[in-house]
Amino acid sequence: MSEMKNNNTLENDFGSKFGAFFRNNSVPIMFVIICAVCIPISGFSPSYLLNEIMTRMGRNTFLILCLLIPIMAGMGLNFGMTLGAMAGQIGLIFVADWQIWGIPGVVLAMIISIPISVLLGLLCGKILNMAKGREMVTSYIISYFINGIYQLIVLYMMGPIIPIQHSAIKLPRGYGIRNTVSLLNMRQCLDNLIAVNIKGVKIPVLTFIIIGLLCLFIIWFRKTKLGQDMRAVGQDMQVARDAGINVERTRIISIVMSTVLAGFGMIIYLQNMGNLSTYSSHSQIGMFCIAALLVGGASVDRASIGNVFLGVTLFHLMFIVAPAAGAKITGDSMIGEYFRVFVSYGVITVALTMYEAKKRKIKSLMGRQLKLDQKEEAK
Amino acid sequence: MNETGLDTNKTLKERMAEVVDSFGLPRLIIAAFLLLLFIMAPIAGADFFTQLTNTINRFSWNAILVLAMIPMIHSGCGLNFGLPLGIISGLLGATLSIELGFTGRMSFVMAILIATPFALVLGSGYGWLLNKIKGGEMMIATYVGFSSVSFMCMMWLLLPYRSPTMVWGLAGKGLRTTISLEGYFDKALASLGQINIGTLSIPVGTIAFFALLAFAMWAFLHTKTGTAMTAVGSNPTFAKAAGVNVDKMRLLSVVMSTWLAAVGILVYEQGFGFVQLYMAPFYMALPAVSAILIGGASVNKASITNVIIGTFLFQGIVTMTPTVMNSLIHMDMSEVIRIIVSNGMILYALTRKTERSK
Amino acid sequence: MKSKRKWLFRALTICLLLAIAGTMFIIGRGHTIYLDNKTIDYEGQTYEGPYQIVVYVDDEQVAKLNKRDRGMATCIGQGFNMVLEITQEKGGEAATMGVTMTLPYNMDGIIINLPALLAGLPQDAYLEQFVPAVPDVPEDEEIVTDELEMLEAVPEV
Repeated sequence: MSEMKNNNTLENDFGSKFGAFFRNNSVPIMFVIICAVCIPISGFSPSYLLNEIMTRMGRNTFLILCLLIPIMAGMGLNFGMTLGAMAGQIGLIFVADWQIWGIPGVVLAMIISIPISVLLGLLCGKILNMAKGREMVTSYIISYFINGIYQLIVLYMMGPIIPIQHSAIKLPRGYGIRNTVSLLNMRQCLDNLIAVNIKGVKIPVLTFIIIGLLCLFIIWFRKTKLGQDMRAVGQDMQVARDAGINVERTRIISIVMSTVLAGFGMIIYLQNMGNLSTYSSHSQIGMFCIAALLVGGASVDRASIGNVFLGVTLFHLMFIVAPAAGAKITGDSMIGEYFRVFVSYGVITVALTMYEAKKRKIKSLMGRQLKLDQKEEAK
Repeated sequence: MNETGLDTNKTLKERMAEVVDSFGLPRLIIAAFLLLLFIMAPIAGADFFTQLTNTINRFSWNAILVLAMIPMIHSGCGLNFGLPLGIISGLLGATLSIELGFTGRMSFVMAILIATPFALVLGSGYGWLLNKIKGGEMMIATYVGFSSVSFMCMMWLLLPYRSPTMVWGLAGKGLRTTISLEGYFDKALASLGQINIGTLSIPVGTIAFFALLAFAMWAFLHTKTGTAMTAVGSNPTFAKAAGVNVDKMRLLSVVMSTWLAAVGILVYEQGFGFVQLYMAPFYMALPAVSAILIGGASVNKASITNVIIGTFLFQGIVTMTPTVMNSLIHMDMSEVIRIIVSNGMILYALTRKTERSK
Repeated sequence: MKSKRKWLFRALTICLLLAIAGTMFIIGRGHTIYLDNKTIDYEGQTYEGPYQIVVYVDDEQVAKLNKRDRGMATCIGQGFNMVLEITQEKGGEAATMGVTMTLPYNMDGIIINLPALLAGLPQDAYLEQFVPAVPDVPEDEEIVTDELEMLEAVPEV
């Protein structure tokens, strides 16, 4: 923060460039500093850290990538990705009940999640179209609202209305799903299929291939007609509408795509974890994914694949070392736990504030320009 | 108005639609639902007056937290999702008051007094931030609330509290997650002039305290500053042209809201009997927000009546559903219903077209 | 014309997804197989188990069964292959044989009696459904739907 101000005052070219670099990347730089301080204190070995980072990268990257599409369409950070996560979890509950194991189970869960995700995505997109200009807070409340419906279905309707056979996942009272559903039979089945072990660091090659394919898809999608439309809508809705683009439809499609991908991402995430916390796995995932993306230097209106990878690495590095470092410094293990939660929320707060402040600055600049122009004309 | 008699059937329908529209369909459904609950309660075997007492009690605990929404809605800052920040000031007041050795009703007064400077400082910072990001208040407010709660989680552990009633017994430091207020300000207001008629009991003290604050708020909104604040909310350009300092008004509204939240949580705690720390304030904004919306407020319009009706309806549903549901269908779906109702209401309000949006 | 092609394309995609889902349903069905080396009576005749059977599935040893032992293996799909290394008497030569069998789709847990299988008895003699023991005291589980509860213990991400 202080560097920003200092560099602002410097007039020479190098200084201003340096300042701009700091300003644009202040969040990642802050994180590099946090990690640099915490890593030596935590006392973890580099190979352990590398291993953890690899695991978490495979686990989370897909989920974070699904945030890119709504950003492209100018809808901000999609807090409604939780909806996709819920759809994925419903798919997994069914698959666990039907006893479909391994990769076929993962694929089947994904296919089941698609119609649910599409439905939820359509709903979310429709609602967001009614709340233009405050998409983020609305999508955030939608995630709570749908969480209520999810609980209604999973806690009360599964059993009597939606058949669930196995008592291992059904509550003893006869309806509802247990707090945890074991996914032991598909645990890390994707990660282990083509795993490479280099000096104790396990690299889940297949998972990375899937992530790579999604990256390629996003790059390709940006160049398609629909992708171009989305970017146009993201730039300026009015201009896009004048150009004959169906703005509402484009926005809905972007949310549907994001939701479906989030469903897949959640399934990949949970197959790595090996068990599903029925009522809590999804509720925090949106927050952590968004924080990770922002840590990678993305902002509300601009995010790239590079941001995703940088973000995943830095954010999770902090997540691993903070509790250990916190425990070493203060002697209380909870401090570090709270610290990383605080940092996650803090990062989102800072990033949102910077984005909104910038937006306002541009707006007022444009207003001033307009005034000047009018004065010129009056002369 | 001139078409009377032309097509009475249609006008009646239209009038009905108008009523529904002005009151809002979801609000109507919620009111009908609560009415149904009250009718069902005796059938379900619950005593009507016990239920009413519970509802009134919970109303008295929560009303001030809902009242805290008013200033920011008036000044155009939207729904105060950053309520936890004010709550934290209140919690600091409560814990410090106990730490400093105050007991009984005195500890309640001191808690409010100690909480006030915290609320003023934190509220000013929060208001300053919200002035930088006009238009994006609600999302950032949410995250300001979340960050401050998680920051305070660390502080509750680290701050040098010593009072044996508050810290963990074994470690001798770090505050407990829940602190009993017995001997301190448990029922400090509720026990003041409590009226008992059969099974019905009314915590007059708490309600009177709320009435006092609500009246003060009403009076304030009718002062020159108050009307200026409303003007800032309804038409900032006009207000600016009329010479009102927009930023200052917004800042004032945020500080007021934060202070009311601090007082509100203290009133809540004296009724509830416990101080809840750590993650407890996390989601406290949502019930307050949905309560005022259920009462008929919108993102940029709210009145004291909205607060009273909304809190009563919301708390009524929260207290009645578990008992009625449990005895009728043997399923406790109250939690799920609460989530759907409160968030559905917020969603409804967010998707309404407001005068400010283009 | 264009919209017709679009609909056709969509229908085909859905069909394809359904086909994949159906395939996954069949090939992904998991079974837990319990292998018993126990003496069995069938139609008045007693079949003694050998001294030791070592079971390999996918070149991995899953169980080493002495008399009256039970081993466990898992199988995805209905085709189950295993290699048995049978030692009839203590210290005797081990004979190796491969066994391939089709598992019934609707059983989660399957008990296979190896002596009966080795004696070439019909399926109903050696194959039996495994029914997990139901606890006498019905357990109760507190449902945690409250997000706060979960935040107290910060989740692993």
